Amino acid sequence: MSTMNLEPVPGRTDEMIVNMGPQHPATHGVLRVVLGLEGERITRAVPHIGYLHRNHEKIEEARTYPMVIAYTDRMDYVSGTQNELPFVLAVEDMLGVEVPDRAKKIRTIFFELYRLASHLVWMGTAMLDLGAISPFLYTFWDREIILGIVEKTAGARMLPNYYTFGGVRRDVHPDFFKDVADFLDHMERRMVDYEHLVLESPVVHARTKGVGVLDQERAVARGVSGPVLRASGVAYDVRKAFPYDAYPDVEFEIPTSPDGDTYARFWVRFQEMYQSIRILRQLLELTPKTGPYKGRAPARLKPPAGERYRAVENSRGELGVLVVSDGSDKPYRVKHRGAAFSNLQIIPDLFVGAKFSDAIAILSSLDPVFGEIDR
Amino acid sequence: MSLLQEVWQAVKAIGTGMATVHKRVYEEAPTEFYPYVKPELPPVSVQSLALVENEDGSERCIVCLQCERACPAQVITIERHRNPEGKGFLIDRFDIDLVNCMYCAACVEACPVSSIVTIQDFEMSTYDLQTLKADIDFLHEQARRARQWYSPKFGVELRTDDGRIEKAPPEMQPGGLAEILKPAEEVDS
Ligand code: SF4
Ligand code: SF4
Repeated sequence: MSTMNLEPVPGRTDEMIVNMGPQHPATHGVLRVVLGLEGERITRAVPHIGYLHRNHEKIEEARTYPMVIAYTDRMDYVSGTQNELPFVLAVEDMLGVEVPDRAKKIRTIFFELYRLASHLVWMGTAMLDLGAISPFLYTFWDREIILGIVEKTAGARMLPNYYTFGGVRRDVHPDFFKDVADFLDHMERRMVDYEHLVLESPVVHARTKGVGVLDQERAVARGVSGPVLRASGVAYDVRKAFPYDAYPDVEFEIPTSPDGDTYARFWVRFQEMYQSIRILRQLLELTPKTGPYKGRAPARLKPPAGERYRAVENSRGELGVLVVSDGSDKPYRVKHRGAAFSNLQIIPDLFVGAKFSDAIAILSSLDPVFGEIDR
Repeated sequence: MSLLQEVWQAVKAIGTGMATVHKRVYEEAPTEFYPYVKPELPPVSVQSLALVENEDGSERCIVCLQCERACPAQVITIERHRNPEGKGFLIDRFDIDLVNCMYCAACVEACPVSSIVTIQDFEMSTYDLQTLKADIDFLHEQARRARQWYSPKFGVELRTDDGRIEKAPPEMQPGGLAEILKPAEEVDS
C-alpha cells in the first residue's frame, strides 16, 4: 500500500504530498497522480488509474463475436474505428475470411481520418494545458468536419461500429470521396496555421524543449509505443513492421526525432498528420468508387479453437488484441493491449525531477485517453 | 540569442497568432446555433430507435427475436406467443431500455423486415430516466412522429403528409444503393 499512497518520509518536512486529479482538467479525464513536491520540483509520483473502469474484457467474454465490435469502440473514444480493427483482423484470421481490396482501402481511409481527428484533439487539449485556448477551438472545428464525414457514412460520429468481419458494414456515402478530398485541401491550409500557432511558437518552445526527456533505452524497456517511442528515436511503427489492410499499397514515412523531449513528441505527431494526409491522398486515388465493400463472412461466427494476436498502429501506439477462441460463438478471452495504457507507465520516470507545470506539459505530450487506459 | 532577437521572436509570434485569429473570424463555422437552428443530420444517423408499423396500422415486426439476439448491450426484451389463428407470432411485450442502449444499430442491422429502425430524433434528454424505458407504444409513437427513418434493408423511408410510407429518392439514400434497392423491389411486388 505504501507504494500506492505516498507516505511522508519521516524527518523530511520539506516534501509535500499533493493529489493531482482525478478531477483536474489537465489530466485528460480521470487520471490521479499522487505527487511528492519539494517546492516546485517533483520528487515522487505515483499514477493511479481505474476511475473509468468498465470491465470491458470480462463483458466481452459474455458477448458473441459481432457484439464485441461495438464494445471495442468504447475504449479509445477519441479514435473511433481504430479500436475495432485489431479485433476484426484477429477474428478474420481465425475464420479465414477474405476481405475485398476495396473494403481494405475504405477501412484504411477511416483509420487515417480518425488518426487526424485524434491528433487534432491532442493538439487542442495539449495547447489548452499549456495555456492557449484558440488552437483548441480551431482543432475541434476541423475535427467536426471529419466527424461529419464519418457520420454521413457510418451513422455515428465517435463510436461508429462500422468495421465488420470481412469489410465494412455499409458502402460509403456517394459523396464520401469528394468530402474527404475537400477536407484534405482544407486541412493542408490549416496545417500551415497550426505550424505557426504550435510548432513555431516561442512559448511552446520554452515550455517543451528539453522537458521530460525519455531516452531510447528507457522507452524500449518501458514498452511505450507510437509517437512517444518514435520521438525517442526508435522507428517502430506497426503499419510498417506488420502491415495490415491497405498499408502495403501506400507510401509513407515514419517520422522520428532523436531528442525524446516533449517538443519532439509534439513534432512527431505533427509530422504524422502530414503523413496521414499523404496516405489519404494516395488512397483516394487508389480506391475504386464502386465495388464490393464486404467479403463473405459465415453467418454463424464460430472461429476454430485457438488464439490470435493482432496489432494495429492507432493514434497512440500499438493497439493489440489477443483473442482466444474455444470454438463457441463467444470468445473465451479477449485481452486488449492498450497503447495509452503502456505509454502511461513512464509517468513516474518523466515526472520525477521535473517542475510541476512541466508535468502538465509532459502528460499532454503522452496523449492519454482514459477510456482505453481503464477499459 | 540576443535580447533584440528575443523581442522580435515574441512580437512575431503574437503577430502570427493575431493574424490567424483574424483570418478565422470571417470563416463560416461548421457548427449550428442549436436550439434556434436544428442541425440537419444525415439520414443514416443513429439517434434513437423506433418500431415501424405498416400503413394499415398492422405490425411490421414478425417477432423473430433477431434483434434481441444481436443486441450487444442486451437491452431488448421481447415476449411472444403463437398466433392462435394463422401462422407466426404475436407480441406480448417489446421493451427497449433506451437508457442503456448504446445506439450501435446492431438490432436494426439484424431485423429481416426493417421493423426496428433508426430515427434522427436526438432530443431525448429527460429528468426522469424511467421515461426512456421504452415499451412498444413508445416505440410506435416514435415511428409515427418521425418523418424519415433508415434501415439497412429498405434504405431511407419517408412518411408522406397523408400518412403513407414511401421510399426516399435515390439521392437521399446512403451508400450501397444497389443492395438497398434490390430487396425493396422484392417486397413491393
Ligand atoms: S442500438 Fe444496439 S444497444 Fe441499442 S437496442 Fe439496438 S442493438 Fe441494442
Ligand atoms: S428483428 Fe425485427 S422483426 Fe424480428 S423481432 Fe426484432 S423488430 Fe421484430
